[in-house]
Amino acid sequence: MRNAERGARNDRLRALNVPRAVTVELDDGGLPLRIREGGRGKGEGWQSVASVGDVWRLDDEWWRRLIARRYVEVILEHGGRMVLYEDLVTGEWFGQTS
Amino acid sequence: MTYKVDSSVLPGMILRDMFGIQFSALESMSHPPSPVPRPLSSDYALCCWIPLYALRLEEARRPELTARPAALLTADTTRRLWQVSPLARRAGVRSGMTVSRAIGLCATLRLCEPDPVFYEEEFARLVAALSRVSPVVEPVELGRAYVGTDGLEGLFGGPDQIVEVVQLRIADCGLRIGSAGVESAIHNPQSAIRLGWGKGKFVSWTAATRAKPGECVIVQPGEEGTFLAAQPLAALPIDPDTHRRLRQLGLRTLGQLAALPEDAVAAQFGDAGRRLWRLAAGQTVEPVTGRPAPEPVAAQLTFYSPVADRALLARALDRLLDRALASPRRVGWRVQTARLSAALEHGGSWSTVVTLRDPTARREGIAAPLLARWDAAPPAGAVERLTVEFTALVPGTTELQLFARDADAAARAGRRRALRAAVREILQRLRRPMLYRVIELEPWSRIPERRYALIDLDE
Repeated sequence: MRNAERGARNDRLRALNVPRAVTVELDDGGLPLRIREGGRGKGEGWQSVASVGDVWRLDDEWWRRLIARRYVEVILEHGGRMVLYEDLVTGEWFGQTS
Repeated sequence: MTYKVDSSVLPGMILRDMFGIQFSALESMSHPPSPVPRPLSSDYALCCWIPLYALRLEEARRPELTARPAALLTADTTRRLWQVSPLARRAGVRSGMTVSRAIGLCATLRLCEPDPVFYEEEFARLVAALSRVSPVVEPVELGRAYVGTDGLEGLFGGPDQIVEVVQLRIADCGLRIGSAGVESAIHNPQSAIRLGWGKGKFVSWTAATRAKPGECVIVQPGEEGTFLAAQPLAALPIDPDTHRRLRQLGLRTLGQLAALPEDAVAAQFGDAGRRLWRLAAGQTVEPVTGRPAPEPVAAQLTFYSPVADRALLARALDRLLDRALASPRRVGWRVQTARLSAALEHGGSWSTVVTLRDPTARREGIAAPLLARWDAAPPAGAVERLTVEFTALVPGTTELQLFARDADAAARAGRRRALRAAVREILQRLRRPMLYRVIELEPWSRIPERRYALIDLDE
């Protein structure tokens, strides 16, 4: 995929389900309390998390560039479902459909 | 005004509603249904082969593909590579690869969505051109067809002359392959067409694979064994595993295989081995088997008194086309060439032929060019008899037909045409293609963003 990004992606291929950055406020246990999508537009406001569902971890590609993620499935206050993950290498949070 | 029925022509038909005039006319199919045709076959075969046929057609449509590595995707849902251009092969890309792997090997690879309906239509054009030389034509796959040449010597002469006629017919059919037209297919090293002539399909196919682009290899009768003996094992229709086993036995050529006892090969490889041995030894002659092509469909209308009124004739033409299109022989085929002929009042005649750029089964699509020809050069007198004949048909229809043999192809063609029209419109308005197709990259990947991607939906 990185090759594709370097070469032909802009021309022909567009990856689907690309992670989008989110800002997350965490509780003491490291689980999301509130989230804010992106930095602009309609997602500018904070949304409270009503409940936290499944939590799982993904580790891959340790042999070249480590991918380590902690996924958290949350139900938002207005009822929507969302899947977030914390990049355990950089500490950043992203939203993504699992 | 009254017209009478000519009962000598069957089946008759009475037209009642042309401009409110009651008259009788007759209409007939000039070719009544024939009994089950005898299978056509020919021992001597000319193999016409266009390597990477689909990719060559795409290059003809999009010349920019010739200058860069390109590959066609498969038409199914696996989204692997189907045909790979030589430039892409040089970069290590192979057919059957996943898109992600191919892009990893060649970042500038240009991927093309396949257009199987277009390929089939163009191939049908090629087959139709070959059918003008011989009634025995056997299409095997896209880009490869055999022409039976038994009995053609009396018409054209020896194999050299037959080959020349076939090359001329191919050049004449208007097919465009690769960066050059087929007009330059003959004796042209840039051409994609290779021909091979010999006894049986295997010999002719092997000869075609040995031919240079634009050339033909002729294996004279009696020389099959010598010719085959020098050919590599890869010429045999075998799977990679059998090929590997044969090579492990130290065999490299068909001659080495044929030198082994037939029973020994059969003991190792079973019946398939016996067949391979016989092919290698030139002892099997697989004849070319033709398929019945649709006969021309015709409809005829005889006026009791000569008609000169253009509107009346146009209406009569519509009726004739309706009748011809309704012929059971036409179902599943589209009209490519239509001839309109008229017998005139004082013994003269008039005729015109139109070849439709887009073969169709719609009456309006056929009537309009015929009437345009009529208006441009009308007949010199009143018409006594009007005949419509569909002389060339191509498979596939775009109209919905419950019992058509190609209902699936028709549905695919319809969807693709609608999509192409949408793409064109969006491009015109927004200057950017906004329609994409989802393709699989690594659907097994644990990392979600690597599983699927969008690719431009080509026009």
